[in-house]
Amino acid sequence: MSTPLVRVRALSKSFAGARALTGVDLDLHAGEVHGLVGANGAGKSTLIRCLAGLVTPDSGVIEVDGRPVTLTTPKDAGDLGLAFIHQELNVVPHFDATANMLLGRRKPSRFGIVDWGRARRPAIEAGRRLGVTFPLDRRVDELSVAQRWMVSIGRALVANARVIAMDEPTASLSATESERLFEVVRDLAASGVAVLYVSHRLDEVLDLCDTVSVFRDGHLTRRVTRGELGKPGLIREIIGRDLTPVEPEVARAGTANRETPLLEVRCLTRGLVQDASFELRRGEVLGLGGLVGAGRTELARMICGVDRPLAGSMLLGGEKVTFASVTAAVRHGIGLVPEERRSQGLILHRSVAFNINIADQRPLRRVPWLPLLHVGRARARAVELSERLGIKTTNVDEPVSSLSGGNQQKVLIARWLTRERKVLVLDELSRGVDIGARAEIHAIIRELARAGTGVIAISSDVEELVALCDRVVVMAEGRVTGELAGAELTEEGIVALSYAQAELDREVSA
Amino acid sequence: MSSTEVAHPGAQAPPDHGSDGSAGRRWRRFLQLLSRYGTLTGLLIMVVVFSIAAPDSFPTTTNVVNILNQSALTALIAGGLTMALVVGEFDLSIGYAASLAGVLVTGLIVRQGLPIWLAVLVVLGIGALIGAVNGALVTKARVNAVIATLGVGTILIGLGFGYTSGAPITAGVPDGFLKLSLGEFLGLPNPIWIMAAVLALLWVVLNRTDLGQRIQAVGGNIEAARLAGIPVDRVKIIAFVITGVCAALTGVLLASLLGSGTASAADSYLLDAFAAVFLGSATLRDGEFHILGTLIGVIIINTGFNGLSIFGAETFYQFLFKGGILVLAVALSTVARRYSRA
Repeated sequence: MSTPLVRVRALSKSFAGARALTGVDLDLHAGEVHGLVGANGAGKSTLIRCLAGLVTPDSGVIEVDGRPVTLTTPKDAGDLGLAFIHQELNVVPHFDATANMLLGRRKPSRFGIVDWGRARRPAIEAGRRLGVTFPLDRRVDELSVAQRWMVSIGRALVANARVIAMDEPTASLSATESERLFEVVRDLAASGVAVLYVSHRLDEVLDLCDTVSVFRDGHLTRRVTRGELGKPGLIREIIGRDLTPVEPEVARAGTANRETPLLEVRCLTRGLVQDASFELRRGEVLGLGGLVGAGRTELARMICGVDRPLAGSMLLGGEKVTFASVTAAVRHGIGLVPEERRSQGLILHRSVAFNINIADQRPLRRVPWLPLLHVGRARARAVELSERLGIKTTNVDEPVSSLSGGNQQKVLIARWLTRERKVLVLDELSRGVDIGARAEIHAIIRELARAGTGVIAISSDVEELVALCDRVVVMAEGRVTGELAGAELTEEGIVALSYAQAELDREVSA
Repeated sequence: MSSTEVAHPGAQAPPDHGSDGSAGRRWRRFLQLLSRYGTLTGLLIMVVVFSIAAPDSFPTTTNVVNILNQSALTALIAGGLTMALVVGEFDLSIGYAASLAGVLVTGLIVRQGLPIWLAVLVVLGIGALIGAVNGALVTKARVNAVIATLGVGTILIGLGFGYTSGAPITAGVPDGFLKLSLGEFLGLPNPIWIMAAVLALLWVVLNRTDLGQRIQAVGGNIEAARLAGIPVDRVKIIAFVITGVCAALTGVLLASLLGSGTASAADSYLLDAFAAVFLGSATLRDGEFHILGTLIGVIIINTGFNGLSIFGAETFYQFLFKGGILVLAVALSTVARRYSRA
């Protein structure tokens, strides 16, 4: 076999005493799509960050073209042709696509004035190679997430990257957009670029990658070549045991009784969302399905008082409610676990306890009429909830940023368990959450529902909706296109309804 | 875990701690220590040097009390400013608010004949009002805090000059008002007690009340705070109000100390307060604003001033020191934040 493009030997890295990577060996060949899978905190991000020059390994060797290299800054990595595209894309929102692709590159100039015509050429070439369909002079903040991915990949191509690492590229892409991305990845590989592909979506990893490296607890535990293992086998490798399937609820869908719905949403309209109506019953897990951009987050934000609906109404326990603010919605017992955990949910540098307790502190007062908090009681409540939800942390006083994605998500759920609640809305509840933690979060949600909370679960993972929910309302292009329960609740059914509106429009216009 | 199944041998090679990775870590650790304890070390060095250089005048009880007394007013205004910064905003009006408070309190006593306690109370109320206006401009009218408070501050300068017609109010200031800052209690000057009480109160509010936790949450991540149901606008306004009241109190005490109400008397406290708060944020914590840090920041600055004046340094040195320490403080605070997040 030829010399690998990148060869990693015995790479180790610890953070504050915790081993993030232990003796990892990995070869990456030109033209290869190499998948990295594993639970959160298993070490795949750390490996990528080492290759990107963002993290300096404690020991071990990284070779590029057979020569040992030291990567201490992202520039070192870039100079060697290693490009890294992070989940939260680093683009300058008000620059256009070309300018973003050329970011940080020396631009040809005449008498000190940039010759944009000449400067743009590599970007246009990259755009052509990626087959982009949007105008390259459009500002990036006007582009969709999928288009921004193309811009980021374009930037890597402009930099003549030979290795492109992609972290969860399909996390916020629709099925069609993902398909398009896969084509691009395959084309890149065919042209000799090595792609490091990190994803929790095992189907696409198995489909796309020539080699898959499985990480567990900082070790590279298994290297799988194409066709060697199926999805169940891969899951077993990732969690190191057989996955215990979540038991289906006995009473699911059968609970459709005639009592007043807990929450009734009538014709809510704002922006993308048009006339959205549905009902949520007590003790029910209601899924909200659809493609990314179908308006599910927007609908959730209206329900939770973040944005005010322009039309329509809501009935909570049969009574009409309007929320002027999130505070008002929270007071009525509606809580939101937002889509962007790190930017919208957590106060990252604060402790786990702080993040759990912040939504309701009244019970923590020493005396009810004086706003003085009882520190011990606050901590005890956080400890109790952490134990109840199985939040893996050595200490609730640790900063929440040190937890894995799944545990952070549990912290956000715990936050709402401190209050009396009627409705809990979870937006993209499993984004960036590993499989083990995902099952645990599902169990928590079922438990909450059993205790009477109405749960609205938004997910772009169809499989998850079917596994978790009693009933699923599907949206497409801002409208509710249907509702599935019982035997009708299938992955195919959800996908079909996700495209329903588009079909309808086409028929109308035809 | 022994179930590792790796394609290549040598994966279990022992980690090599002698490599340059650990040197980098040591450097980072050093920077973190420097940013947490550097300011305190600086204070210690200053104390030692001044004590050796001026053994008769610097390390004496009288001088220590003197430093604390001089620190009191800055500590009050800086303590208030800490609240605005913790909530994630800025307040550049504090110096001017303090100046106006000094003018008004003397004016209310001398011209309007109000009893001292009532005049003080009214002026503190005006401080609260100034804070509320700042807060409302920032939250409701969405004006950038730097601009809003600079604008409000400039208006306050105008009001101060208008009220005094440019001449300080000196005649007829009663002794009772002067005693506010010149009096003593249990052998210590009143301002030290007031500083201790107010800072203790601010500490409790920030660390042991619902409100304080909310202020910290809003400053930590405003969007997360909003989605957690915290009324972020109200929390911000309250933080500005606390800042305004503290500024007014500083102005009152300064007027009492000077025995007059002079427009622009307290203006220079603005920069001292900022320097102190930023120094404080790089003390014991990683670039986070906190009350104890602010107090230490104030003491560092005033120890420096004290030393400079003991050695008879000319006035321009004081400005060099003040400007230098402001820049240094912000730099330290930023470095501290960077290395804690890494």
